Amino acid sequence: MTTDNAQKANTQTRIAVLGTLAEFHEAPIPYDLASLVALVAEMNPDLLCLDISMEQWQQQTFYSLPPEYRDALLPLAHQTDIVVVPIGGKQAMPTATATGWRGAVIAGLREVINWLQTGVSGPDALNQGWRHDVGNLLYGLTRRLAGKGSRHTYHAHIEQVSQAALQAAANNPGSRILVVTNIQYCHHIRPLLRQQPDVVETDYTNL
Amino acid sequence: MSSAPSPPQVIVLAAASLPRLAWEALLTAQPGLSVWGTAANADDLTALPPTRAATTILFDFPYPLPPWTAALSETLPDYGRLYLVDDYDLAQIVSLLQAGMTGVISRNATVPELTRGLLAAARGEVVLPPSLAAQALLALAKGNIASQQHPIESLTDREQDVLTLLAQGMSNKDIAQSLFLSVRTIEAHLRNIYGKLDVNNRTEAVLWAVHHGFEA
Repeated sequence: MTTDNAQKANTQTRIAVLGTLAEFHEAPIPYDLASLVALVAEMNPDLLCLDISMEQWQQQTFYSLPPEYRDALLPLAHQTDIVVVPIGGKQAMPTATATGWRGAVIAGLREVINWLQTGVSGPDALNQGWRHDVGNLLYGLTRRLAGKGSRHTYHAHIEQVSQAALQAAANNPGSRILVVTNIQYCHHIRPLLRQQPDVVETDYTNL
Repeated sequence: MSSAPSPPQVIVLAAASLPRLAWEALLTAQPGLSVWGTAANADDLTALPPTRAATTILFDFPYPLPPWTAALSETLPDYGRLYLVDDYDLAQIVSLLQAGMTGVISRNATVPELTRGLLAAARGEVVLPPSLAAQALLALAKGNIASQQHPIESLTDREQDVLTLLAQGMSNKDIAQSLFLSVRTIEAHLRNIYGKLDVNNRTEAVLWAVHHGFEA
């Protein structure tokens, strides 16, 4: 890397997205949360954007949050220089739902997604490889089955999350930002983050 | 992840061996920190190789401090020096700051509070309980600061926000979290504030802010 390129890399605002199993917070997380803590501690981002609302943050009502947030990332941020930025909207993370046979198929697909994650050894395995791709495909199917209203809610949510993350980037030029949200949103958030010319969207392993 | 900065280092300075080992074990387990070494006295400390990362010396010594510790602010000027106190007493805190400590933390603090204090001291911040920060700094620097008038208008709204929180005794991390800005962004704002107020350091900036009613 030339000196100019190195200087440019130091002043660029870099942003990466890491997926979690956040939706399954009522089921045990299949991997040791210490591996998530170690991964994020090693990245040591300046800002940690979490999919929680400003109200939840201000009231510090964390008991209902997924364990990946509540038991791993929030304690890590509390005792390091990592600053938490709540980027979720007023609505909780939307879940695709339907009635009748569509609802039954969605429930079945969720079982398959759950089964897929049972062998996950850590956040890396969740964010890469065949599990990631198959899970993404199944999530897409659940949204199709849930109908237009559900898809609208879904896209409004990822728009909210992306814009809030970009606002954090605009307020902190030159910073390194990690967005941690449900694995199903990653594929749609990344292209929205890439649209901002002065922000470099990168893989979390290169943050 | 090659651009992640090196984790701050901690040197444990404790006269007794068991507390030294206990601190080392506790701090080694904390993410975002690394224990560079332990020492029981000045000879042990100077025998440690110099660190390349931001560093804090954690003092677990009975009060008053042994005389040789006063020289550390000259021999190791870039290291933060954090002293463990039994309770927060203004006179003792001022005495410790005069003896070269850059901060104090209570033995009743939680592990995250201790870790954050170590990080802040390594960054060069003065680590004090917010309730006593302004009084301690005022007592320490009494008479040293000229009461100059500067136009508050020269500060941006964001800089005024930062200065208000600084005057309340907040650490850079706490200011950053309050404003949802990174610690590095806060450090940049502080550099601008120091320049605009024509002050040399955090203590002078706090004093300026307290004099001008920013702590409210």
